[in-house]
Amino acid sequence: MRSVALVVTGLVALAVLGPLLAPYDPTAIDIPNRLSGPTQTFPLGTDALGRDILSRLLYGARWSLGLAFLISVLSLIIGTSVGLIAALGGRIADWSLMRATDTFLAFPELVAAVVIAGLMGAGTWSLIFALSVTGWMRYARVARGIGLSVQSRGYVVQARLAGMPGWSIARWHYLPSLIPSLTVVWTGMFARAILGISALGFLGFGVQPPNPEWGAMLLDARVHMRSTPLQMIWPGLAVVSCVLAINLAGDALRDALAKDGQPG
Amino acid sequence: MITAIGGVLLRAVVVLSGTAILTFALLWHAPGDPAQAIAMARFDALLSDDVIDQVRQEVGLNTGFWQAFWAWLGPLLRLDFGYSAVTGRPVWPDLWAAMTYTFPLALAGLAIGLALSLPLAILATKRPGGLLDRAAVAIASLGAAIPAYWLGLLLILLFAVQLGLLPAMGARTPAHAILPAVTLGLGVAASLTRIIRSGILEARGQPFLPALRRRGVAGQAVARDHVAPHAAIPVVTLFGLELAFLLEGAVLVEVIFGRPGLGTFLVTAITARDFPHVQAVVVLTALVFVLVNLATDIFYRVIDPRIGAEDA
Repeated sequence: MRSVALVVTGLVALAVLGPLLAPYDPTAIDIPNRLSGPTQTFPLGTDALGRDILSRLLYGARWSLGLAFLISVLSLIIGTSVGLIAALGGRIADWSLMRATDTFLAFPELVAAVVIAGLMGAGTWSLIFALSVTGWMRYARVARGIGLSVQSRGYVVQARLAGMPGWSIARWHYLPSLIPSLTVVWTGMFARAILGISALGFLGFGVQPPNPEWGAMLLDARVHMRSTPLQMIWPGLAVVSCVLAINLAGDALRDALAKDGQPG
Repeated sequence: MITAIGGVLLRAVVVLSGTAILTFALLWHAPGDPAQAIAMARFDALLSDDVIDQVRQEVGLNTGFWQAFWAWLGPLLRLDFGYSAVTGRPVWPDLWAAMTYTFPLALAGLAIGLALSLPLAILATKRPGGLLDRAAVAIASLGAAIPAYWLGLLLILLFAVQLGLLPAMGARTPAHAILPAVTLGLGVAASLTRIIRSGILEARGQPFLPALRRRGVAGQAVARDHVAPHAAIPVVTLFGLELAFLLEGAVLVEVIFGRPGLGTFLVTAITARDFPHVQAVVVLTALVFVLVNLATDIFYRVIDPRIGAEDA
């Protein structure tokens, strides 16, 4: 669990403090120093417009991590609501909501996100919408499964018979069972959101220039692969290290929960 | 069994209808005027509003959502994807041409992925927790975190730009397919290693194996009647998962390597707002997905009596 706390603190610190540590304005154009390699003044070099790559990476952390957080929480809310309504709303609600979930699952996530973001017009809001609307289904399935299993437990039946109001059954009996499994799903989806944001940025359908987003930075760097190959390495490393850290934290969390004997 | 399969079929039909409605809703609500796009393609000129309105009526876009939906669905059910809004050419031949680039790439990626992951997973599980096992897990975790487009760019940088060994852009010769296939294959290998490894470990821990052995069932019979069906379930699940991964990966990989496959076809169509092209790709991928899921669902029920028991 210590590694999980460490990863979470590190990522939050990166997103919050990153821009404060940046030596330059990430959008400041400096043509005389364009496509510079790593130097004393520009530790990671500059891009085609002379913008400092280190500053862009640090500001980019806020875009990538912040948007990924927003997207994964939005889809968590949508998915959990759908799943719980399906579990508790009776057979007809269950069947139709689960078929709706299947329908959304029938599109490959990234292909659907590219189509939605592209057709809505490239931009941050389309990006958030596209990735949230294609990312809620796993939460729905997990929440439904747990909802169904908790529903028939003795203590829930007893609480209902004792006249406990619905919201307090939800608060005291459903929530504690839901939180561990949903947190594990959430870490996976958070990592996926980072990958999705940078993939859409790389295809030109995500965060738009001049904003420093890691995928869009890769797109810029790709053209200058011959002259300044290092420019292409940094944003990729940033994505990989964040995703790897989150995935490992998620695995650790899952193992810890499995040891505690939590359901799910 | 028959009713269970009927239920699965009914579900597939509902999901397919849902995908059609979703796709159409997306196109219907997308900003930009599809009638204008179609008119532009047809007459190849800037047009007056009258002409655009005429086209709108012809295509049935001036009606309500559901009426337009039925008009749209009719030709689609006959697998008639219409004409490109940009070039005016029929969609199907161009789409098929793109697929002839994507399918071999996906197959090659899958083959490379299997060739790498199967031996790695088998070696790793010889001694669970050993050095090799931990290395395999580490490689798989790293592979899952590396985006396909970055891996592709790194391979281009190393093999095409620095070493000058392989061509990077286009699809003129078979050598052009090596880097894209390897990019895709490495991603596949990462996820397959993880799944196969845990599959083997789980199968080994099954309590029925020592029980069968003690009852004196022959080794061959154990393998054929008990281990194989057990192992087949994750393999089939995996096929469905990998299909998604291959399709998504192929989209990005083709864009990076400038291959004229489905990925490039889709991205070009989105940028040009070529609605018939976009809808053809979306409908086709959804159809393939639903059919594969249907096949795996039926397969599960045939092979594993536990699944579907609660439906009956």
